[in-house]
Amino acid sequence: MQRMAYTFSFPEEVLEHVFSFIESERDRNAISLVCKSWYEIERWCRRNVFVGNCYAVSPVMVIKRFPELRSIALKGKPHFADFNLVPEGWGGYVCPWIAAMACAFPCLEEIRLKRMVITDESLELIAKSFKNFKVLVLTSCEGFTTDGLAAIAANCRNLKELDLQESEVDDLSGHWLSHFPDSYTSLVSLNISCLGNEVSLSALERLLGRCPNLRTLRLNRAVPLDRLPNLLRRCPQLVELGTGVYSTEMRPEVFSNLEAAFSGCKQLKSLSGFWDVLPSYLPAVYPICSRLTSLNLSYAIIQSPDLIKLISQCPNLLRLWVLDYIEDAGLYNLAASCKDLRELRVFPSDPFGLEPNVALTEKGLVSVSEGCPRLQSVLYFCRQMSNAALFTIAQNRPNLTRFRLCIIEPRTPDYLTHEPLDSGFGAIVEHCKDLQRLSLSGLLTDRVFEYIGTYGKKLEMLSVAFAGESDLGLHHVLSGCDNLRKLEIRDCPFGDKALLANAAKLETMRSLWMSSCSVSYGACKLLGQKMPRLNVEVIDERGPPDSRPDDCAVEKLYIYRTVAGPRLDMPGFVWTMEDNSSLRLE
Amino acid sequence: MSEIDMAVIKPEMMKPYIWLETSDGSIQQVEQEIAMYCPLICKEIIQKGMGSSKNCAICLPQRVSPATLSLILDYCRFHQVPGRSNKERKSYDEKFVRMDTKRLCELTSAADSLQLKPLVDLTSRALARIIEGKSPEEIREIFHLPDDLTEEEKLEPLKNTTDDPRIRLLNRLYAKKRKELKERERLKSVEVEEEHIDKRSVDDLLSFINGNEDQKGIKTSKNKKKNRRKKEQHQKNSSLKEASGVNKKEVNGQNIRPPNSEADIIAETSISHTEDVFAHKEFDDGDIDDGIDPALKEKIDREVEDFARRLNSDWPERMQELLSSGQERKTMLFSPNGNSFLRRNA
Repeated sequence: MQRMAYTFSFPEEVLEHVFSFIESERDRNAISLVCKSWYEIERWCRRNVFVGNCYAVSPVMVIKRFPELRSIALKGKPHFADFNLVPEGWGGYVCPWIAAMACAFPCLEEIRLKRMVITDESLELIAKSFKNFKVLVLTSCEGFTTDGLAAIAANCRNLKELDLQESEVDDLSGHWLSHFPDSYTSLVSLNISCLGNEVSLSALERLLGRCPNLRTLRLNRAVPLDRLPNLLRRCPQLVELGTGVYSTEMRPEVFSNLEAAFSGCKQLKSLSGFWDVLPSYLPAVYPICSRLTSLNLSYAIIQSPDLIKLISQCPNLLRLWVLDYIEDAGLYNLAASCKDLRELRVFPSDPFGLEPNVALTEKGLVSVSEGCPRLQSVLYFCRQMSNAALFTIAQNRPNLTRFRLCIIEPRTPDYLTHEPLDSGFGAIVEHCKDLQRLSLSGLLTDRVFEYIGTYGKKLEMLSVAFAGESDLGLHHVLSGCDNLRKLEIRDCPFGDKALLANAAKLETMRSLWMSSCSVSYGACKLLGQKMPRLNVEVIDERGPPDSRPDDCAVEKLYIYRTVAGPRLDMPGFVWTMEDNSSLRLE
Repeated sequence: MSEIDMAVIKPEMMKPYIWLETSDGSIQQVEQEIAMYCPLICKEIIQKGMGSSKNCAICLPQRVSPATLSLILDYCRFHQVPGRSNKERKSYDEKFVRMDTKRLCELTSAADSLQLKPLVDLTSRALARIIEGKSPEEIREIFHLPDDLTEEEKLEPLKNTTDDPRIRLLNRLYAKKRKELKERERLKSVEVEEEHIDKRSVDDLLSFINGNEDQKGIKTSKNKKKNRRKKEQHQKNSSLKEASGVNKKEVNGQNIRPPNSEADIIAETSISHTEDVFAHKEFDDGDIDDGIDPALKEKIDREVEDFARRLNSDWPERMQELLSSGQERKTMLFSPNGNSFLRRNA
């Protein structure tokens, strides 16, 4: 008794049209698993693909399945690469992807990469192969020079977005910018904040002047403050601006010029940059503060009183990134002034100092949690914390979705009771039912992992360092967190048992990183043998793990699910566990 | 309107009418102004001169039933009035699409056949909203779609690890230990007991994994199943080998796996052990045996026991090692790159 599908009379175009309103990755994936016909229709009209781990699938597979892609996003190295835990040369090369896509997707418009290695050759290939190329975003990438950028500038007639967030670029010369032809006018977003050298300012001024749709401009440090007004006058329609260095000789006419230029930018909502701030120039931005929704002062060495003056003028702030110079007093003021705040990041000004250099404690975060009812996302570096504070934060803000606490000194206990911070973090996971991302720090026993396994049902990413006492801890997390996708662990006493017992869980996650833990080489081999759809990578700079006994702990372990088999581009210090000896680069 | 009603209406109120025939053969009169809102009908009237009488009624496409036509005409009746504000139109639209999914699909189909794009957009969006956030099973259920992806193509989400009997037993064990711990807390100091309990739970873990003592019941059933399995083991080993063979071909990117199997990887959803790749479900109820060849399994058991023994014997030393190395690296909770730069986007 087969029932008739409600959509039986739909021509394909109609279903495609319905699908065109569905954009989220999860929904697209659900659609593709409904039935044969939907799978087929969906794959032909999929325009945008996100590959969270570039080694989970091969370029050929993606190309074969989605022949009409216009946009691709790829991530390479594991997150802990940001903290220098992934050795140089580990991988994340985008070259094979670019080469394959250059042939297969002549209509490709957008490439977004994070933590990948991209060469000038690849950039040149992009510039030549994709006639309608529009968006290039390289976040935390490396391996290229300004020559590659010159190729993009010269050839991509329809380029809208060039964003080099926090990438490491070999800056050979600032002349690459002049490669944008005079006929080029489509720029919408330009982020060159990571570049070391001066770009040609006259070329930049001309570029800005002829691109009427420019919305985002993030300059690099080398752009002097007294040249900023001229640049701003060329693009008063800017919505997002990153300044260059924010100091120069104090001259009244420079100040008034700057203030006037800022006032002319009626759409400006986001500010960043502010390297080497001279506080007396800060009031130049006051005219636009009331419209600001995003403020990134994470490079600005400004003391608390100046910060307070600035922030109290920004009642509509949604996002604030700042150094810990803001101190508890500044955060108290933030809580009073910015009632709509969604995201707060407080970075350490002196992370390696042994003594605190600023008056920033847990109290600052507590006051923000009290005063800002819409706060969802927190990244907070500090030197002391208490369970009581964490309880308060948890109860104040059950709507938190991202909570990353970095108590700078590993294994720091509750400073009031000298107990572990288990119950404090426990309160966070218990009350914040929609918590997706959590980073732990401080003194923690296996208890905290029990709480996380019990309550962290929506948790997708967990970062752990110097915590736990036994395999129990890891076991709680792997067996309890139903939605866990990424787990990264360093310096914890987790060994083989929890890993092996929860091996099946690993195929439901994107990746697991464990460094300086107690996982033995033997267990890694076992895991590799048992789980053909996982790549179990042993990263060990001491030499081949075979040269040591099987029960010897590996230095670093990176396990990720894949349908592409072991990768072919491993350096000499990475081994993928499998039945045969792995293939490697010489 | 029936012909009798028509006779009663005053002449000056008469608007031009046209005749439409729906898929079931029934013919009706509709105000021309309203019907013309549909491009297909418009073309029929203007280009072909149809619809002016019952005899030359415009034949509407198959997909337009009388009920659906009625809905479409309501829509047209509202929207063809020029004076309405955008807000009014939007509000009407939102209420208009509130109907069961079956009717919504029929309406979408009909609107498409009549080339009435605004209504197609409206209904498509409504359908998209129904689909969003649902699982494939739910979508199939709602739209009465066949479950026709093959075993190889379709991927069932991997059952969460709480289904694994080993995990369940482990959890029960830990729960028992926790209870004991709570009781002892009342009497003795915590630190000493925690250490004590830890050691024992490691032993328990071992005995559990190796199937000793208090797991007697499971052990016997395991043995029984082992015997049963021996026969099947042979086939399974070969299919396992096949599976790993497939994997090796993957390395060169030459043999592409069945279409959907990589879908989930790209898609970031859970992947399964299909019946073809693993000869049987990895974790059967009440059975610790995970389908590995018995000889290999014994080897694994011995290895695990070895590791655990060594681990237990030098656990205190290892802890010291870890703690002291932790001390050295104390200031390296996060070690930035050469420029002493801590990524803001980390």
